[in-house]
Amino acid sequence: MNTQKVIAGFFIIMAMTLNFGFFYGDISDITQHNPYELFAAIVINLIATVLKLGDKTQLGSVLLATSLVADIQLIAASIIWGVSLYVFKADVAAVNEIVSLSGGALMANFVSVILFVGDTIKSRR
Amino acid sequence: MNHNSNILWIIVRRMRTPLIVIIVTFTISIIGMVLIPGVDANGKPYHMSFFDAVYFVTFMASTIGFGEIPYEFTYAQRFWVLFSIYISVIGWFYAIGTIVSLIQDKKLAAEIALARFQKKVDDLKEPFIIILGYNYVTKELIRKLSLSDKRIVVIDKDQDKIDELELENFMPEVYSIAADVERPEVLKLAGIKKRNCKALVTLFNNDFKNTKIALLARLLNDRINLIVKSTTQAQTEHLQNLGIKNIIDPFKIIANRFYLAISSPSLWLLKMMLFEHELYFKDKDRLPKGKYVICGYGRMGKALEYSLKKANLPCSFIDLKSAHFKDKKNSAIFGDAEDIELLKKAGIEDATAIVAATKDDLINLTILLTAKNLNPDIYTIGRENTLDDLTIFQSAKIDRVYMLEDIISDYVHKVVALPLSARFLEFLHKQNEEWGTKVLDDIRHNVTYNPIYFEIKISRTQTFAIYYYLKEGHEIRLRDILRSLKNREERAKIKVLLVKNRKEQITYLPDDDYCVKVSDSFLIASTEEAKEDFITILNNANELNYILTGRDLRFGLLKRILDE
Repeated sequence: MNTQKVIAGFFIIMAMTLNFGFFYGDISDITQHNPYELFAAIVINLIATVLKLGDKTQLGSVLLATSLVADIQLIAASIIWGVSLYVFKADVAAVNEIVSLSGGALMANFVSVILFVGDTIKSRR
Repeated sequence: MNHNSNILWIIVRRMRTPLIVIIVTFTISIIGMVLIPGVDANGKPYHMSFFDAVYFVTFMASTIGFGEIPYEFTYAQRFWVLFSIYISVIGWFYAIGTIVSLIQDKKLAAEIALARFQKKVDDLKEPFIIILGYNYVTKELIRKLSLSDKRIVVIDKDQDKIDELELENFMPEVYSIAADVERPEVLKLAGIKKRNCKALVTLFNNDFKNTKIALLARLLNDRINLIVKSTTQAQTEHLQNLGIKNIIDPFKIIANRFYLAISSPSLWLLKMMLFEHELYFKDKDRLPKGKYVICGYGRMGKALEYSLKKANLPCSFIDLKSAHFKDKKNSAIFGDAEDIELLKKAGIEDATAIVAATKDDLINLTILLTAKNLNPDIYTIGRENTLDDLTIFQSAKIDRVYMLEDIISDYVHKVVALPLSARFLEFLHKQNEEWGTKVLDDIRHNVTYNPIYFEIKISRTQTFAIYYYLKEGHEIRLRDILRSLKNREERAKIKVLLVKNRKEQITYLPDDDYCVKVSDSFLIASTEEAKEDFITILNNANELNYILTGRDLRFGLLKRILDE
């Protein structure tokens, strides 16, 4: 067992599951999307990104790219949420945008997990 | 291999843990702030939103501290903030500490230096020369080449040497890097594969290393001019098999000069004029013909023996090895009773000249002084190895000093700066004294006693005017352009030593009927003034017209008025 692999795998998969947890629900109902879950998804995504830093291989670079995509989309979702709530004082935040952005991030996380699993299957150890 | 991305990778790898620490400490603080209930201005309980929490933690952790917002905190919140301050500030300090240690990191500094060097070499658009190893010889070489604005790239294994080079402040800037010259990627880094890399100079004391580098360089780029030092016959043959033309053997150079100086003084002078020697014999320039005693039968001794035999002069040897001598006598002073006996046995009293050719300067010096005591009329020749003793050698009034390092740097400078001069030197060795005297008189009378040398090629960049004139199909002979700019009836103070044409064929000392063609390269001896005039004539269409026809071209308004 490789401790590094366990940690990396944990964060990569958790980034996706949290992302999915937030995304899942009615796209126009804000009460079905938990802000804590979005916060957790952002933090875990950031940690997963940092863990992928410094891998010079082709696969490492693509993994890093997918993580960066997910980070940007999730952070954008949280910023939209904050801005619509505080700056525009909207009673109901721009739910559609927030959820669809997180959906985009989910795709990136999904690709990342597939690459990670593929690499694990390929490895003979 | 790109060194810019290497720098990024080193930083990113080191920053991984600090970044994770920062993310985790922020997360803990933010979650706490959101979960712990506070009290708003009206005394009602409320929960901080994520935005408020992120805002607060961001300025708290960076120690900016705008205060308790949006409402004053409860004690429960303050306990949490206290805890958060400690963990997040530690996180920040950890990250900053890592960045500071990265700045001091040797490996990172080396990578940054490499990246800068690579960028500079990549940006170099002019022709340049790679010099391997920085020492007395190459330093002199760089100094001389810098005078003619040659661009140079230097590699040395030793960082201290590179620092020393940077302190010299050569103009134009000499690009340097500390790296192992025997690795092909280092040679590539220095730009050996670039089109404008013209030559590579390797003058290490280790012949084997030179040969190895020459082989690598040949494989990497077979167009460049390789200048390689070799002091043994075996290595020289290896190099010749590799097709390397410029093999620098200091002992062979000395042997050749020594032979010329004995057998044919005028050829010697013609040869030395290329090395800034004025065109007359100074005192003691002429080597005497007679019996030679040579102390030290090493590489230099053998080289001198070869040239003396070729010149049919008798010589005797004292086989003296500096290391043995110092072990045996426990000093580097030559001249006790036993030594004097040695000199006498070698026939010092009826010899005309003595050569001290050991590896130790002090032994050489004392040999020559002892010999002078025994035979006051003797001509003294010394080999000098290190520069420190230069003043001692001068004050000891040695008739002729051969300094290996100077000879090498002078010779390599000529090969690099005036490649055609090497061909001229080869040619000289096939001539006789009579020919030499004739050429010497010609240069003395028609040029000057103190000529300078330059090379010029008939090309668009170097000789603009004549290039287009020739392209138009005109025929120009040498006599047409070797005219003085002040008065075209007068001959310019210029002597063409050789011409190399487009097909690499060489004409030595071309006569005035020589037909100038595009792509001809000339090696020319002239005065400073004549050189400037000559270059002006070849580049300026008006001057060229005056020289060829004797008429000035009129231009513009004046021409129009006069034509009407």
